[in-house]
Amino acid sequence: MAQVWCLLAPSLAIFLLYRILPLLWNGVLSFEDWSPLKPAHWIGFENYNEMLFDDDVFWQALWNTLIFMASAPIGIVIALGLALLVNAEIRGRDVYRTIIFLSYPMMTVAVAIIWRWMFDERVGLINYVARSLGLVDRPIEFLNSFNWALPSVIAANTWQMLGFYMIILLTGLQSIPGELHEAAAIDGAGARRRFWSITLPLLRPTLFLCFVIGMLNSFTSFDLVYVMTGGGPGRATELLITYIYKLGFSQTRFDYAAAVTVFFFLLLVSVTWLANRISGRDAGAMRMD
Amino acid sequence: MKRRALLKGSLAGAAALAMPYLARAQSGKKLSFLTWNIADQEQLFKEEFADFQKTHPGVEIEWLDKKGPDVPAFYQTQLVAGTAPDVVDLQGALWVEYAAGGALLDLSPYLAKEPEVAKLYNADYLASWRYDGKTYMLPFYIAKTLLFYNKTMFKEAGLDAPPASFDDLLAFAKRMAKGEKTGFMTLNFDWLYWPLFKMNGVDLLTPDMKKPAFNTPKAAEVLTKLAEGTDSGAINKISWTGRWVEPNGAFAGNTVGMFHAHSSAYFFVKGQGAWINPDTLGVGELPGYWATPTNHGFGISKTSKNPDLAWEFIKHLTSNKWATEFALRRKLVTGTIVADQQSLETIGKEDPLGRQVLQTQLEHTDKFTGNWPLPFDAELKDAFYPEIQNAVLGRKTAAAALTDAERAVERVLRRHS
Repeated sequence: MAQVWCLLAPSLAIFLLYRILPLLWNGVLSFEDWSPLKPAHWIGFENYNEMLFDDDVFWQALWNTLIFMASAPIGIVIALGLALLVNAEIRGRDVYRTIIFLSYPMMTVAVAIIWRWMFDERVGLINYVARSLGLVDRPIEFLNSFNWALPSVIAANTWQMLGFYMIILLTGLQSIPGELHEAAAIDGAGARRRFWSITLPLLRPTLFLCFVIGMLNSFTSFDLVYVMTGGGPGRATELLITYIYKLGFSQTRFDYAAAVTVFFFLLLVSVTWLANRISGRDAGAMRMD
Repeated sequence: MKRRALLKGSLAGAAALAMPYLARAQSGKKLSFLTWNIADQEQLFKEEFADFQKTHPGVEIEWLDKKGPDVPAFYQTQLVAGTAPDVVDLQGALWVEYAAGGALLDLSPYLAKEPEVAKLYNADYLASWRYDGKTYMLPFYIAKTLLFYNKTMFKEAGLDAPPASFDDLLAFAKRMAKGEKTGFMTLNFDWLYWPLFKMNGVDLLTPDMKKPAFNTPKAAEVLTKLAEGTDSGAINKISWTGRWVEPNGAFAGNTVGMFHAHSSAYFFVKGQGAWINPDTLGVGELPGYWATPTNHGFGISKTSKNPDLAWEFIKHLTSNKWATEFALRRKLVTGTIVADQQSLETIGKEDPLGRQVLQTQLEHTDKFTGNWPLPFDAELKDAFYPEIQNAVLGRKTAAAALTDAERAVERVLRRHS
């Protein structure tokens, strides 16, 4: 046993130093009045009080974050369709799988810049196609519009995550024993029935894994949002994560940012716990039989 | 005669003996120097450092350059760690926060001791780095907003000179707006849009800086006109949503009549717009000559172990010789009076329009606005501007946006009272 702890010690030390201690310090900081320019002093729940009762931006950012999070299933549903397609016996399916997966390993900043240009009013591809097809008279100001900005950022995020979801779901699909489908087909079950009665129930752990990862990704999509819109126009795309960054590094309000971070952390833990409960506590489990 | 020769000899001998001591006193000293996104000037800095080391032998200079958004985060972490760079280049109003928080050294005693130093610089720009009666920075390079105008579009609309009032500005913009073309555009970050309010007599805060002063019928009228202009296409929407690249790119596209931006925009736009020459691009000022400065200055961290040496170093960097060299290589104005005169003359020979643009940066410097010495400027900006966006982009009425902005600004002021 002592040997095990000795082997684990370096990793645990690093984990403690870079994960646990900052987390604890962040917790303490949220109850203090502190900035790099002044000494800390204890102020109790004042930061939390301000956050919950005196900060409209916090509520707007929370609302946007929840919408962003709730959009994860859209990507998962599209990825499921793609996974089913590239799981079928079609020619060149490895090429299709590669193409679909390619979006995921791309740097998020690069994805954000690509989509910013795609959505551009003057030279963007989407507006160009829409105008060429006569779908719109005037270019749509995707990223400069209060109504379109958040859906546009969500679309870019979904596109990037699609490849990742697809690969995970493909792994899940391939772990479903082929005999089950064969037996059901012999019993007269059609493709739709087999999907609803075999594929989907057996994919449930994989789907929930995707959902949990999708949610975590939504919570931490800082670079994508920051590069695409910077949280604007107004506060239309402000997420909690971008708001925390601005509070800390633009406004030098590390203490208040720490309080928002604690809230953010608790929200993340709650949502993950809930998702795991709903999935029957087996999110990501693989059937080995 | 003999006695005089003896005295001279003794003095020379003493000086010769003292020199190595002075040199030894500086040897082993290190200066760290943080700049703001100016890595392209590496060669110049190397030359400046070598020149400084000639008179200060043994001094090691460690230069760090960070991209704009990284500078505050980096500087703050270094402050916490107690390893803040000795000399720091800060842009905009960031210095006030650090000065008020005790991170920057008050340079006033140095300026008082060497009164000839302050005379080297443009007094209005130097004064813009005063907080609580103390000066914290020396000018590295300076800029303020001006009005660029597209002479071709002016001609097409039957206009022959820049607008003389806010209503003129909107009327001119309306006359030039047609199809893809818009009449007016402004940069919006760092309060660069504020001259539009100031020229109408609107102030952000009361003179004691304790209360909001902007929620007035006049401000609502201005905001309503800006919103109407934006909705009609007279004002380009990028004014309120773009940052740096987008507005400059739009103006370079030859479809915007007037562009309110600072001088560096000229070189960006010129690089992209083949149409730009003295016959097509006009250079002027906003009505009332109001402008918002965006300056870079050199400050010394209070934690510097060698503050006197750091002072010598920033004097060296902003000296006539090196400021001129910098101005010529970077095509800008530095706030060092002689350097700017010399460099403008040279720049004017190659690029008369460039000279005209840079010349505006040194005129009407008594009409700065939007550069309030507030330690919480970033918070105020973040509280105020989203509401302005809400109004000009038609999400709220001007009155509602101003009321909400007032509430947000009051919250910031309350926290800092």
